[in-house]
Amino acid sequence: PPETRAPARTHSGPAPVTDVAKLCVCDLLVAQCDVNCCCDPDCSAADFSLFTTCSVPIVTGDSRLCSQKAAIYSLDVEANPPERIFKLIDQVNPSLFCIHATNYKEALSFRSPQMPTSENFDQLLKEFEGVTFSAEPDSWNMNTDAQSPSDANETYRYEYGVPIQTVDAFLRLPSPVVSSWCSDANPAGFLVNQATKCTRSVSVETCGNIQAVSMLFYINSSILAVPKSSQMVNITVQSVVVQSLNGMWTLLNSSDVLRLPMILDELCINIVLGVSYHITYTDAGEIIEAAASFVLGAINKEALSIQQSFEISFTQVNTKPVPLSGNPGYVVGLPVRAGFRPQGYPFPVEILFNTNKYGQLTVLQSTSNQDCLAAQGARTPVLFGYNMVSGCKLRITAAMKCQPLTQTLLDLLKGQTFPEYVASFGNSRAQDVLDWVPITHFQTSEQRIYNTFQSSCQIPISLEIEVKWTKYGSLVNPQARIVNVTATITTTTLKQLPSGRERTIPITSSVVFTDISSPAEPGYKAWPTINVKLPFDFFFPFV
Amino acid sequence: SSYQLSSVPLQILFYINGIYYIFYFLATLAMIVYKSEVFSYPDDFLAPDLALLFIMAILEVLRLYLAFCFLRGSKGNLTEEEAPLGLSLVMTVGSVILSVYFLVWQTYVLKADVVLNALLLFTYGLESVLKVGAIAAFV
Repeated sequence: PPETRAPARTHSGPAPVTDVAKLCVCDLLVAQCDVNCCCDPDCSAADFSLFTTCSVPIVTGDSRLCSQKAAIYSLDVEANPPERIFKLIDQVNPSLFCIHATNYKEALSFRSPQMPTSENFDQLLKEFEGVTFSAEPDSWNMNTDAQSPSDANETYRYEYGVPIQTVDAFLRLPSPVVSSWCSDANPAGFLVNQATKCTRSVSVETCGNIQAVSMLFYINSSILAVPKSSQMVNITVQSVVVQSLNGMWTLLNSSDVLRLPMILDELCINIVLGVSYHITYTDAGEIIEAAASFVLGAINKEALSIQQSFEISFTQVNTKPVPLSGNPGYVVGLPVRAGFRPQGYPFPVEILFNTNKYGQLTVLQSTSNQDCLAAQGARTPVLFGYNMVSGCKLRITAAMKCQPLTQTLLDLLKGQTFPEYVASFGNSRAQDVLDWVPITHFQTSEQRIYNTFQSSCQIPISLEIEVKWTKYGSLVNPQARIVNVTATITTTTLKQLPSGRERTIPITSSVVFTDISSPAEPGYKAWPTINVKLPFDFFFPFV
Repeated sequence: SSYQLSSVPLQILFYINGIYYIFYFLATLAMIVYKSEVFSYPDDFLAPDLALLFIMAILEVLRLYLAFCFLRGSKGNLTEEEAPLGLSLVMTVGSVILSVYFLVWQTYVLKADVVLNALLLFTYGLESVLKVGAIAAFV
């Protein structure tokens, strides 16, 4: 069988290859033989004898043509050694709708893209710069222009994440970018509560020149109540706290006076160390109030940089801000919300909880010295999804009495205020009492003595809080919901020690989150039923 | 003997031509729609092809009308006049040119197009021969 060896191909860009004898899609390695590629011109007869199959058995042009050339490659395994067979045949398409001829040059090949030149560059840029390519780029521009005059009558409003506009640009919340140095180009987003800390380089000599350390920079430009409007909201100064060089904070009585940085006794005072914006908005997406609280400090000659912290929080008008731990399901890492039922009512009307969201449900915090009695008061909040174990060591001497010790340990384990109810969802409201799950208390004894009447003393040594939660809601976006919370106190017998002896027992507290979600079941809507009922008096004359 | 000159084969051929042309028109139109879906058929190439197809249809209707009605006459007899037949022959030339266009110069010529147009050209050829024969018989 004749073998044609194609000469080395030159790489031509736009011109299509139409000779099927020279086309080889499996020839990937340049100047090397590709395995099982029968059309590779770099392979010799010895290479062909090692192949097992031909990965590309046939090379044709467009199969819709009535008659076309086809290059067929096959391996003759009968021969020894196996050799490649190359045949160039005319393939006939038997279909009635095969293409007999075309008078359109680009019919069967992809159009080569236009080369950008200085004449067509602008037109190409307009056509291809967007996210979608349109055949008529002008029509897109016309549509958007037609929309904006009609939108002018429509009122704009802020939406979540939209940068808050001020008279000149955006409300800035300096934040660290890449490194810890402050960048003033970070806009504050509407309803995006942010807290950032960054470093700014400032010295006593330059403190008057740097805008970002003066109060004026932060309250200078008024915020626009709605985007693209002329209604402005001035930023008022809510409170000013002065931080002294040793870190002591003093709240100033008069917060109307603008305090600008000035040099006093080799110190530069009234440097802005922290700004906290509080924006009040309506549910129509309008900002109606903006207040800023400042922390001003002073730097001395040795200081080269200061750390500034910025915060912004949003409150809806006529509501009290409630810290959410998720909306609606709990978010891992946010504190579990818990509260109390007020006494004196036959049924609970509202759950009361600590406004500090990190103080609602807490456990003992391990300290470095591990002595329970020395570290009283250190608590750590229970964060959803984070299992925790903490503990300390208790030294019991002979002189300790049972009852006070029991009470001390209970206070240690449970804290001063142990809540009664835990919020089922991260956004459970205080008024929805049914959204709150009561904490069930259990008490077990370490020694497994079933006799409840103990003559000896039982002291609590461990508290285990088990939070059972489940995935709730849709399959694609399940929300975490707390179903059950149990607090188990384990007690042990305190044996009376002979005087002078000491004993150390470990006290532990742990929090465990268990996922008790049942496997998800996809739910389908019921088939619609045809509900046909004849009217009551349909057969009137007869019935 | 003048009655025999109104050739019955010519009339039959006109009927066949009419029926075949309806089929040809619908088939070509359907195939143009098919081509525009399956192949890349830009508007500048699609418009002339469609326009010429409709022109051909109008031309064909006129031609066959001329050929039939003037052959029948208002008196109910078969009047034999060579003028309308001659006009019809001239119009046949136009139809032949259009058919050749669809055979050779269309944007996409499928095998079905070749078959349809070849048959149409054969019909025209036969018709023309018979018309020439009929005209020559009067003259």
